[in-house]
Amino acid sequence: MTRQDRAGWLFSAPVLAIIALVFVLPTLLALGLSVTDYSIYALADWSNLRFVGLGNFIALLSTPLFWRAIGNTLLFAGLGVPMAIGTSLFVALLLNDATVRWKPLWRVLLFAPYVTSIVATAVVWRVLFNARFGLINRALAALGIAPLDWLGNPHTSIPAILIFVTWKIFGYNMIVFTAALSAVPADLMEAARLDGASRWGRFRHVTLPAIGPTLLLATMMSVAGFLQIFAEPYVMTLGGPAQSTTTVLYFMFDEGFKWWNLGQASAVAFVLFLMILAVTIVQTRIGKRHEWL
Amino acid sequence: MEGLGSTASGWTRRDALGLIPALGLVPVAGCAGSDAVPGDRDKASPLTMWAMSWEGDYSPLLMPDFTAATGIPVEVQSLPTTASHEKLLTAFAGGAMPDVLMLFNGWVQEFATIGAVQPVPSPALVADIFPGVLDATRFGGRDYAVPWSVAPQVQFYRRDILHDAGYDAPPESWDGWRTMARAIKRRRPDDYVFLMLLNWPTGLITMLSQAGATMLRDRNTRGNFQTPEARAAFAYYASLYADGYAPMALSTEIQDPVAAFATGYCSIWPSGPTTLKDFERRADLIPRHRWATARLAGPQGAGPVSGLSSSLCVSSQTRRPREAWALVRHLTSVPSELRYQRLIGNLPARMGAWRAPQLADPVLRPFARQMQQPAAAPPVIEWERIQAEIQLAAERVVRKVQTLDVALAALDNRVDRLLAKRRALVEAGAIG
Repeated sequence: MTRQDRAGWLFSAPVLAIIALVFVLPTLLALGLSVTDYSIYALADWSNLRFVGLGNFIALLSTPLFWRAIGNTLLFAGLGVPMAIGTSLFVALLLNDATVRWKPLWRVLLFAPYVTSIVATAVVWRVLFNARFGLINRALAALGIAPLDWLGNPHTSIPAILIFVTWKIFGYNMIVFTAALSAVPADLMEAARLDGASRWGRFRHVTLPAIGPTLLLATMMSVAGFLQIFAEPYVMTLGGPAQSTTTVLYFMFDEGFKWWNLGQASAVAFVLFLMILAVTIVQTRIGKRHEWL
Repeated sequence: MEGLGSTASGWTRRDALGLIPALGLVPVAGCAGSDAVPGDRDKASPLTMWAMSWEGDYSPLLMPDFTAATGIPVEVQSLPTTASHEKLLTAFAGGAMPDVLMLFNGWVQEFATIGAVQPVPSPALVADIFPGVLDATRFGGRDYAVPWSVAPQVQFYRRDILHDAGYDAPPESWDGWRTMARAIKRRRPDDYVFLMLLNWPTGLITMLSQAGATMLRDRNTRGNFQTPEARAAFAYYASLYADGYAPMALSTEIQDPVAAFATGYCSIWPSGPTTLKDFERRADLIPRHRWATARLAGPQGAGPVSGLSSSLCVSSQTRRPREAWALVRHLTSVPSELRYQRLIGNLPARMGAWRAPQLADPVLRPFARQMQQPAAAPPVIEWERIQAEIQLAAERVVRKVQTLDVALAALDNRVDRLLAKRRALVEAGAIG
C-alpha cells in the first residue's frame, strides 16, 4: 500500500464506517430478523424468540392482505409513473417553448408543491376531494358529472391519491427535464424543421433521443419511489377504504411498527427489496440496448 | 519532487489533512464524557409524563399544585390518540419511556406483559375504584395501573331532531333504534342518523358484547366469530349502513364529527365523555339545550358497554419511581379528579368522587348507570390488534366487498393466526 493509498483509505474510512454502521449492519440484522418470529412476546422476553427459517415468507404468501398490498402497489406504480413522468415532461415541454414569458416564475410556482409539507397539502386535498363540499365535485357538477365519493369508494381511492401525488411531485422531474431539454441541439432541431418534420416527428426523433438517458433515470427513480409509496395513503386514507390503498410499505409499517411483528415486517422489506431490484435490472437492460447508459 | 508542502518541522500538508477525520471522534468522546455524570442534573430536571386526548392537553393545568407541594416540576407531552399505541411501544423498545404515562385500560396488560410498567406499590392507591375496572389493569394477580377516569360509551342525541320525529329520548333497544332511525330519515332524507365511523371499532365491539358474543375461545387462543351472537351483532351493524342510517365514512372523511352532529348530518353519536368537552368548547355551534345523553341501545335493552377508560402507570425505565408514584397519587386523588371533571368533563374512576354535587348533572346520569355494567375485554395482549381486524371485517361487509359469512370465516382465520404465538405459549404452559 502506497502512501497515497493509505491517505485515500484514511479519508474514506469515516464515511465507510458510517455506511457500514447505519446501512450495511442494519440491513444484515433485518435479514436476520426475517427468519425469526420476533414479535411483542420477544420484546417481553428474549427467550420467546424462535428461529422459523422461511416461515415468515410462507406465511406472507398465504396472507390475503399481502397480495392485496402488492396489487395496490403495482397499481400505484403502473398508473402513477406514466402520470407523474408524463405530466413532468408535458409541462417541461410547455415551459421550453420560446413563446412562454416569465419562465422563472412559472418554474418556481410549479415546483412549489414539491417542497411543501406532505401532511399540510394532504389535509387541503382531503377537503378538495370531500364528497359533499369538495371543490372537485363542484367542478364536476358544473360539467354535469355526478359527484364521486373520491376517498370513500374503494375504486376511486387510488386514482384520487394519484392525482394528489402527481400534483405534489411532478415539479421535481419537470426541472430535471427542463435542464435536459436545454441540451437538445438547436441546429438539429432547425434542420429537422427545414426538412419538413412534423411537431411529433421532431419530438420523436430529435428531442426524445437527446433526453432519453434523463427520461430513463427519472423513470427508474419514479418506479422505485412509487413502489415505496407510504406517506400519501397514510395521511389521506389510513390505507382504507376497505384496505384499497394499503401498499406494501404501509403493510410493513403496520406489521412492524404498529404491532411490533418485526420478523414478519422484515420479510416484507426483503420482498420489497427484491421487487425494486428486479425492476431496476429490467430498466437498466432496456437502457443498455438503446445505448443510453 | 521535494517541496510538496514539506516544511522544516517535517509536517506535510497531507499529514495535517489526514488528521481531519480524527476530529470527528472528538464530539463522540465529548458525549460519552457528559453522559457519565448523572447526579445533580436529575434533581432540577422535570418529571416527564405522556397522555392522550384532552388529558394530554389539559394535564399541565394540574401540575402547579403538585410542583408547589413537592418542588418537582413536571413536563407533559400530549400524544395523538390514534398514534399513541405505536409511539409508546416504540418508546419502550428504544428505552425512551417517560416517567409517568397514561394508558387506555385495554393496553395495561400488554404493557405489563412486556415489562414496560411497574406494579402499583400500595393497595391504597387503587382503593374505592368502580367494580370491574381493576380486572382490566391487573396482570398475574398484581395491579399495574391506577385507574384515572372511566369512559363508558353512551349515545349523545339531538333533542330537537328527535323531538320532531316524535321522540323525547332515544329508545334503548335495537329494534326501537331502527324504528326511530326510519322516522328521522323520512323527515331528513339527505342526512344520516348514526355517527359511527368505519375505522373506529368501539361501536361494533359494544354491539358484540351486548349481543353476548364471546369473541375468543379455547382459553382465548382462537377467534370465535362464527357464532349466532357475533353474527347478529355484525348483521345489525351492517344493516344500519345498508339502510342508509349511517354514513359509510372513515375518520379521514368526516374530519369534524362535532360539526357533523351540530349540523344534523347525524343525530345520534355513540361516544364517550371526551365528547362532553368537545361540545362545551364549541357551544356556539352546538348549544347545550340541543343535545342530551342516554344509555346505548342493546338487543333487548341497555347492556354492558365498552369504552376507552384510562389509567396512569409508572414506567419500568424511570430512574425516579418514588417521585413518579407521588405524581400518580396526586393526579388520581379525589380533588384532582373533580377538578379535572370540571376542566375536561372526564369522569372520576374513584366512586367516592361521585358523591360530589358536580356529578349530579343529569347529562352524567347515563354514564354513572352504565358504569355499573362494564363490558370485559378478553385479557390477551393482541386485543388492540384484534379489534382493528374486527372493524376491517365489518367494513368489508358494509361496503359489500365480502358477504357476512365469508367475512366472519376470514376473521376467525385471521385472529387464529394473530394468536398463533399466544397459542403456542399457552400450550407450552408459559402463560395462562
